Amino acid sequence: MFKRGKLGGLDGGQYRPLSDSDVRKLHQAIVRIMSEIGIKVANRKAFELFKSKGIKTDEEKQLVFISEGLLEDCIDAAPSELILHARGNPDNNIIVGGKRVHFGSGGTALNILDLETGEKRHSTLEDVQNVSKLLDYLDNAHFQVIPVYPNDLPIEKVDINRFFAAINNTNKHCQGGVYTIQGTKEVVEMCSMIAGSLEKLQKEPFISFITCVISPLEIDEVYGGLLMTCAESGLPLSIPAEPLTGATGPITIAGNVANLCAETLSGLCLAQLVNCGTPVLMACTSTSTDLRTMSYASGSVEEGLINACAAQMAQFYGLPYYGTAGQSDSKIVDAQAGFEGAITNLLVGMAGGNFIHDALGLLEFCLTASYEKYVMDNEILGEVMRVLKGVEVNDETLAVEVTAAVGPGGNFIQEDHTFEHMRNEHFVPTVADRQPRVNWAKAGAKDTYTRCKEIVRDVLQNHKPIPVDETIVKAIRAKFPNFVQ
Amino acid sequence: MADLTKVVDAVYKGRLKEIQGLVQEALDAGVEPTTILDEALVKGMDVVTQKWKEGQVFVPEVLRSAKTMQSGMDILKPFLVQGTGEAKGVFAIGTVKGDLHDIGKNLVAMLLESVGYKVINLGIDLDPSVFVEQVEKGVRYLGISALLTTTIPQMKVIIDSLEEAGLRDKCKIWVGGAPVNQEYADEIGADFYSVDAAHCIDQLNSLK
Repeated sequence: MFKRGKLGGLDGGQYRPLSDSDVRKLHQAIVRIMSEIGIKVANRKAFELFKSKGIKTDEEKQLVFISEGLLEDCIDAAPSELILHARGNPDNNIIVGGKRVHFGSGGTALNILDLETGEKRHSTLEDVQNVSKLLDYLDNAHFQVIPVYPNDLPIEKVDINRFFAAINNTNKHCQGGVYTIQGTKEVVEMCSMIAGSLEKLQKEPFISFITCVISPLEIDEVYGGLLMTCAESGLPLSIPAEPLTGATGPITIAGNVANLCAETLSGLCLAQLVNCGTPVLMACTSTSTDLRTMSYASGSVEEGLINACAAQMAQFYGLPYYGTAGQSDSKIVDAQAGFEGAITNLLVGMAGGNFIHDALGLLEFCLTASYEKYVMDNEILGEVMRVLKGVEVNDETLAVEVTAAVGPGGNFIQEDHTFEHMRNEHFVPTVADRQPRVNWAKAGAKDTYTRCKEIVRDVLQNHKPIPVDETIVKAIRAKFPNFVQ
Repeated sequence: MADLTKVVDAVYKGRLKEIQGLVQEALDAGVEPTTILDEALVKGMDVVTQKWKEGQVFVPEVLRSAKTMQSGMDILKPFLVQGTGEAKGVFAIGTVKGDLHDIGKNLVAMLLESVGYKVINLGIDLDPSVFVEQVEKGVRYLGISALLTTTIPQMKVIIDSLEEAGLRDKCKIWVGGAPVNQEYADEIGADFYSVDAAHCIDQLNSLK
């Protein structure tokens, strides 16, 4: 909102739920979990890789006991900072690391609220294209994690088409999860064609991948295999852990954070063993379970706490951090959808999360996306970025001379000082309504949901991201039988 | 009767250490075993499940109460006449091939047991043939669970396998899991879609 063409990147870290001594205790717990309890590695090839490092293993139980030494070596091998590139607009590259904060979409929701009817329906490839275009327009979406699943495609066509639909409709970095090894390889090949070569893609990656570990403490057969395939590609990789408190992780937040760090770091270790130097984002998608209903409580305040703590741990380890915030478990875009997302986005932003995904558009336990919510969340994120911008204190901003000139009983409205600073100092909302009631009523007495819907329609009609060059698209079409666009 | 109130209370509060003593006390006082079962143990669970539906009781509390009830039942088993206290039915439940999620499924399994069904928990990552085998052995109720979009197609594979084996009409099929809904259940020809364990219990009861 403040610098057009430069996305996010303001420093967080103002919110530190963990003291320095807490961080050290957590680290000790993490080391104990990894080296004493062990991680189950159900993928044979991955197991052998760990074994080859000389650490203790248990063949029968498929456990690897990752020593503190191996963990340290792997953390050292992984870059502490990454540049995630944007196809078609280098101004939109983001530098992920330290305490620099960026927000973006995510979730791979299976459903979406129809823009016309408001009804929940399965999302399609067209929704991937439309939501990507919307994200391209929204200033506080600093990157894209592919937002919805194309239910209209069979699984073998999903990876390559999902990625292309997102890439073609946005000039911001695109990250996505993958479903099959073949699909992953096709995505890498396709994007190499778009970049010009694999080397160019590896040097300036405009895409990156996500492969999960399973809580508690397991790298499974399928996702172990996908992790290794992604690591071999040399492209950046987020490896999220998602323990849900009281279900797949301890009920207490500190314990849950310890487990999730052990889990994501074990994935990071595997990635380094496959391909030393693989850029990895230490990643957290964890939240609480509502123990009344066993729901995955994506909108809980505990999600904010957990992801804020994990951000601090990533800073301790000097690793880029992928976190989660902004969702709501409401089924519609109502007050709950507003307040749940606002709190978690603020907490994780202020904790300095580098790559905070799911921050826009998600409802109903991440099962359903909403076009209108992307717009509402963009506004919330604008406010969060304003918080991160902070308060500048100097002679100019203290403005004592200005107050002197205005004097007691005067006003500031025509001062040059007001004129010079008014657009930079304050966040200017596009969604929040601040009209006098009479004007608001004359304009149709519209609620937030309705006003957001109008913005969506306008963007989908008028916004034009830079597409992939048509000659390249033709070549892609010719090469990949699974490509449908 | 004062004794039975204590038993009901112990089930409701999940007093695992006290339940067997209390049940024994009731037996010693001359209360009929079937009365203890129906009016105290089952009643205690009814109170728990009702309060759980209202959102006042948490799942770990429900599970502890179920465990308490079963511990109480262990004392009664030798005294129950054959035919009473037998399972209301046999329910086999499992998670489909390629899917490792099991918490929700295990919850359903535990709760069905606590209300009197015999449950065969088949586990996770199951070949369709595992489900078919159960029906071949005479199991009438099947529960199929999946949590991933990539694995729910297995539900239809299981139903088709049962059709091919000529067994589809010999069983009732429940499907459940986050990506499942009534529409999907109808599409694949399942008998029931359960939102959660309580829903499944209601549906089973409606079959009587």
